[in-house]
Amino acid sequence: MSCDSGHCITCSDEALPMQVMRPDQSGVALCTDESGATSEVMVDLVGHVAPGDWVLVHAGAALQLAENPTSFRQ
Amino acid sequence: MRFVDEFRDADLGQVLASEIVTTVEPGRHYKLMEVCGGHTHTIYKYGVDDLLPENVELVHGPGCPVCVIPMGRVDDGIAVAHEDGVIFTCFGDMMRVPGSRGTLLEAKAEGADVRMVYSPLDALRIARENPEREVVFFAVGFETTAPSTALTLMRAKVEGIRNFTCFCNHVTIVPPLRALLESPDLRLDGFIGPGHVSTVVGARPFEFIPADYGKPIVIAGFEPLDLLQAVHMILLQLRERRCEVENQYTRVVPYDGNSEALRVLEEVFELRPHFEWRGLGFISSSGLKLNDAYADFDAELRFAVPGIRVADPKACQCGEVLKGVIRPWECKVFGTACTPERPIGTCMVSSEGACAAYYNFGRFAREREVV
Repeated sequence: MSCDSGHCITCSDEALPMQVMRPDQSGVALCTDESGATSEVMVDLVGHVAPGDWVLVHAGAALQLAENPTSFRQ
Repeated sequence: MRFVDEFRDADLGQVLASEIVTTVEPGRHYKLMEVCGGHTHTIYKYGVDDLLPENVELVHGPGCPVCVIPMGRVDDGIAVAHEDGVIFTCFGDMMRVPGSRGTLLEAKAEGADVRMVYSPLDALRIARENPEREVVFFAVGFETTAPSTALTLMRAKVEGIRNFTCFCNHVTIVPPLRALLESPDLRLDGFIGPGHVSTVVGARPFEFIPADYGKPIVIAGFEPLDLLQAVHMILLQLRERRCEVENQYTRVVPYDGNSEALRVLEEVFELRPHFEWRGLGFISSSGLKLNDAYADFDAELRFAVPGIRVADPKACQCGEVLKGVIRPWECKVFGTACTPERPIGTCMVSSEGACAAYYNFGRFAREREVV
């Protein structure tokens, strides 16, 4: 992801929602972002993940399971 | 777009902007600091500040991890990159950060094997694929990035990978905030707290801001409506004479953070006695280093890191920008000698640096016209 496309995921306090495609046994999961790009993500910090789950990813590590927000004010 | 459309709704933005207008007290000037560079980027990309009343001023804080790296550490990284057999890996933005004798990108042009990676895991993969080479990862970032580095080092240790080391420049967010609050030339009314750092550390570490300094802080997300709502929540606290930590970003940030992330940080890192921040000087207990259990992966122990200290260029006012004392366009070299193409200071390098955000989204021209 380039810095021009919004936030630069490489440097800052920004994270991307990504969808889990294929978790493996070592705590790494192949994930895809909304543009369709895929990358390996360490999911050790969010417990068990399954294909279809959304995670918030920062610098290659999932920090939280991401919810699909249904309303602005929570 | 899934996840974000709800938070970029223009009508809701106007509603929030109206609520902000009715919340401000007449005759009072508000100065709010957004701590995080990601917030700065959103504010100028979406024109959030254009929706605020004139007496609500947003000040940009020190939360861009690229911007706070001192030139000496870049020089140290370049020195390691030039060592025989080294593959030096770093995030893209770091390649353009100027040291005193050039950038990592220029070092690459001179023959050093410098490679851009998107995560430390990519760097570890390069190490696996190149067992005859020494692979060094230039680790930067706050508590958001540090867990990724920690997990990668834990993997390297388990796998027994011997040719992978980390040049650790991770920093923590609370000490610079405390340093800013102690700064006599800074008057702030409240803080927009860093969203994704808080994903890891939670909201609790920021309780000292209301408790010790009497300022409100609202942890905020990164979409335009997140920021507008956070501003409104701060203004409401001020109007109601409340002062507390509030969490606007509840859909992502648990109040106590991510306990597993905090555990892996504890397992791999320890605090340095002090660490130098660009523009802020040395701040005690603000930087991380690898602890003894991970000393084998510490690039500062494996290589002859020169430990260079370099004063910032005299023309550069990044320090004052990072402290919110001046606005980016008030810097003497902003938009003239210092541009994103040829940055002098780090704030002009990263997309989340305050100067680059101003420059890239046309604020340069607008502010100059106002003047």
